[in-house]
Amino acid sequence: MKHLIPEFEKLRARYPAGFESSLVLPCLRRIQEDRGFVADEDIDGLAGYLGVPRIQVEEVLSFYEQFRRAPAGKCQIAPCRNLSCSLLGAERIVDHLTRKLGIAPGETSADGRFTLATVECQGACGSAPVVVVGETCHANMTPDKIDRLIESLT
Amino acid sequence: MTFPVTATSHTLAEYRARGGYQALDKALRQMTPQKVVAEVTTSGIQGRGGAAFPMGRKWAVVHPNDGQPHYLCANADEGEPGTFKDRWILENAPHVLLESMLIASYALQVRHAFVYIRGEFDEPYRRLAGALEEAYAAGYIGERILGTDFSCDVVIHRGAGSYVCGEASALLSSLEGKRGYPRNRPPRLTVRGLYQRPTVVNNIETLSNIAWIIANGGEAFKKIGHEKDPGTRLISISGHIERPGVYEIEAGYPWRKFIYEDCGGVLGGHALKCIIPGGISTKVLTGKEIEPLTLDNPSLQAAGSSMGSGGMIVIAEGTCMVRLLQVLVRFYHHESCGQCTPCREGMGWMHRIIDRIVAGEGRVEDIERLYQISAWNDGNTICGMGDAAGYATSGILNKFRDEFEYFIEHKKSRFNGTLECQRSS
Amino acid sequence: MPEIFINGQSVQAERNQSVLQAALANGFYIPYLCWHPELSIAGNCRLCAIQIEGRSWVEIACNMPVAEGMRILTDSDVVKEYRKSIMQLLTLNHPVDCGICDKAGECKLQDYHYQYNGERSLSRDVKVHATKFHPLSERIVLDNERCILCSRCVRFTREISKSNALGIVQRGDQSLVRASEDHALDADPYSDNVIDLCPVGALLSRPFLYKARVWYLKPTRSVCPGCARGCNVQIWHRKAEWKLNALDPKLNARIERVTPLENGEVNGPWICNKGRDLAQIFERPRAEQAMQKGKPIELTAAIEAARRLLEGAKRPLAIVSSWGSNEELAAFKRALGGRVTALVKQDWQPQPGERIEDDLLIRADKNPNGAAARAVFPQEDDGASALPADADLILVWGEGFDFARIPRGARIVFLGSYLQPENGHADVFIPISVQTERRGHYTNFEGVVSAFEPCFAKKASVADAETLFAALGAAAEVHA
Repeated sequence: MKHLIPEFEKLRARYPAGFESSLVLPCLRRIQEDRGFVADEDIDGLAGYLGVPRIQVEEVLSFYEQFRRAPAGKCQIAPCRNLSCSLLGAERIVDHLTRKLGIAPGETSADGRFTLATVECQGACGSAPVVVVGETCHANMTPDKIDRLIESLT
Repeated sequence: MTFPVTATSHTLAEYRARGGYQALDKALRQMTPQKVVAEVTTSGIQGRGGAAFPMGRKWAVVHPNDGQPHYLCANADEGEPGTFKDRWILENAPHVLLESMLIASYALQVRHAFVYIRGEFDEPYRRLAGALEEAYAAGYIGERILGTDFSCDVVIHRGAGSYVCGEASALLSSLEGKRGYPRNRPPRLTVRGLYQRPTVVNNIETLSNIAWIIANGGEAFKKIGHEKDPGTRLISISGHIERPGVYEIEAGYPWRKFIYEDCGGVLGGHALKCIIPGGISTKVLTGKEIEPLTLDNPSLQAAGSSMGSGGMIVIAEGTCMVRLLQVLVRFYHHESCGQCTPCREGMGWMHRIIDRIVAGEGRVEDIERLYQISAWNDGNTICGMGDAAGYATSGILNKFRDEFEYFIEHKKSRFNGTLECQRSS
Repeated sequence: MPEIFINGQSVQAERNQSVLQAALANGFYIPYLCWHPELSIAGNCRLCAIQIEGRSWVEIACNMPVAEGMRILTDSDVVKEYRKSIMQLLTLNHPVDCGICDKAGECKLQDYHYQYNGERSLSRDVKVHATKFHPLSERIVLDNERCILCSRCVRFTREISKSNALGIVQRGDQSLVRASEDHALDADPYSDNVIDLCPVGALLSRPFLYKARVWYLKPTRSVCPGCARGCNVQIWHRKAEWKLNALDPKLNARIERVTPLENGEVNGPWICNKGRDLAQIFERPRAEQAMQKGKPIELTAAIEAARRLLEGAKRPLAIVSSWGSNEELAAFKRALGGRVTALVKQDWQPQPGERIEDDLLIRADKNPNGAAARAVFPQEDDGASALPADADLILVWGEGFDFARIPRGARIVFLGSYLQPENGHADVFIPISVQTERRGHYTNFEGVVSAFEPCFAKKASVADAETLFAALGAAAEVHA
């Protein structure tokens, strides 16, 4: 995490004085972007750097959907299964991915290539059904389109 | 508010060409902060995040010159399922938001303003961050804006995946770098909000109207739409509809015209079963009920529902409402922050009941139990999420009780298994 | 002073009170779980809700400021029904394993269930399961199924002990109280207060686990001797009618647990963990046999031998215990003060790893009555300096004295409670009672006097220092 400190310093300068606690979220995001997940030593490092209680970082990591404390597969695939997406075929997409990748939502493939998850509404219902791959929200998906997307990524 | 969207229409250059940042100039040079607040109050604009609270009334609580920092926070956490109009604004009109935020900050004596944007918004974040850079470079944000005494910085703070962070006090909790735990009121956030300082939290669509209001006046705004629901608003429409998307309408617009002409009618030409008008936390209305209504709060409230966040979800004939409610209840259960007893325990209980019904193990008393849990949550929770789940549940049960009774008795849906629209009529 | 009306009755509230505080202060009970007078308002249990006259709904009272003329109802039908609904929700996923839960008998969930007509669960679904027997720290075990997530424990570590050792992870009904992974809870000397704070059987003491049902025990007021704060405590021990049929009498005469006794002037409602472990102090192997140079003798003979030594001494010196009670110190002064030079020692020093002092309760002086002792005998013994070479009799009272400092040739009279090798070296050794075997008072470092009562009977072969001093100072009896 040490190599990220110069970035954190720039980030800190954008927030008002005394807002160190606020930086927990953006710093964790950056750490996860860098490492792929947040490690135990990152928690100590960040808590120390920001001067916040370690428990706060632990709580935040466990509360928010997007943070993880263990590595995920190289490719994280997460179809939305909320209402509009379900009305337009999300369940079929989840089934398709489950069969194709051989894992259930919440699992990572044995070869470490794919993690399958499901997510709630991504705020893109007009282009439902959506599938989030990594950080990107892909719209108007079908099983065929997903197959092509996965091919292009691997 | 809307304009022809191109690959570059979101840029500063094109925004300025459309008259952008002139309202900011007018506010800073020709108006006092109090005058800006008065103009906003005159406009009668209501919040477009779901609660429809009058903006002027919220702003009025902030004491000018009380010697402490004030904060403005634009709520871009758009998480209400069915709603995606804020995404549209962030991707296509980020400068409208920024200019409006600056005018609002001037009015409320805010030195640091924030945009809390949900973590899942990737492209909207990039567009907004780009716009922010442009605005700083052009001197619209920062020290001594446009050569006046007014200085203001804007910080984009990204969330990390939590629906409840769309609730204003939970949003601030998240902005403080903690879990998204809503807070009890009193005190109101405009008295003690971010780090216990007076804070105004506004939905970004609501805020984005400020520039227009200042440029054209509050009276002009009030003339648009309906006296009790002035201005235009953005409707997100999705689900079983031919042309989903974001549409700008004004109060009084007939619903029939909107659905069948502007949006192309129900997907595949199917009959309309029902509509959830304003995001899943509003009460469902059957096709028959909604046909004579207009797209505004007075009309929908009279019918027992609400415009909510403007996230309209269209549901075609043949869709199983039991399976539909299962999706909603699963969502609320997943998103409950867990602080207060009725929501924490109630959401899980409702979820287990619905799952059992769908699995063919429903019991006759389950329907009353769902009503009861909804009632126990109504008004008895720290934030509105408990109430919302209750409205969604009781709303669907009120209109489609027979489907639930059928499912319980026959251990299967009256309709076919999926929620998808039957593509072949 | 706003006037409010509770159930029609006029009540004088105070300006910054909540409705809950005003009600409790004026004899109207409103049930609550997450609220606590020493902690910030959480407002999450939702149990304390009441009805404002004229409204059809309820609102929580803990976060409702009093307002002039407010009219509230604490027992209307609406409120009663509402309370039952909250009880239903609180116990929805609760294991209801009272039969094996230490909290039974002092559990708010139990109490409220009976008081407010709780009913069987309306749920026919599986309960949410969570961790049971989670070792939160070396001293505390957590049962997440019983936990109602009131957050009192978390708020305590944030606001009072400031260790920030506890938090709540995950969300919704998957939320779990957890200790921070750096073991901050083990390092928090106030950690066990969360056990008292917990309204249910989620947080339990590991040392006390399964030792006894709380109704087998009775509390006796005492004062913790761990430092000069003198926190008031309750020492819990077996009631006479609940004695075990055991061969070892010690099993029926021991400290089962220690809890705080609230004293606004001294410790509020808290104590530190050292006070919880009083058994580790008072139940060390006891000296019960008087001795003369290591040879057992009768107590009366020992007292007489010591009396004669004192009478005959030219320069007697006493090392006074800072654990002596006010009464014992007074008796010493009366009986021997005129004749003996007295130095007050510090019986106990801070142990390695022990917190020295802080802003909350802990004081650097690890003795309960040093202030009173020094008020009676102003001279202190620093624990190291050489004693006057001409002192021919040293009367050592209590622990912590280094016998190597005694001048050659001087006689030693030693009054002690515990088995120590030095007991055998003294010319006369007299075993004396400990605090839990008598009544008395300590004066803390701020001058506040607190009382302690006896929990156990002392052995007949053990003396009480208070009466002992009179005997030691008496002139020789005239024998016919």
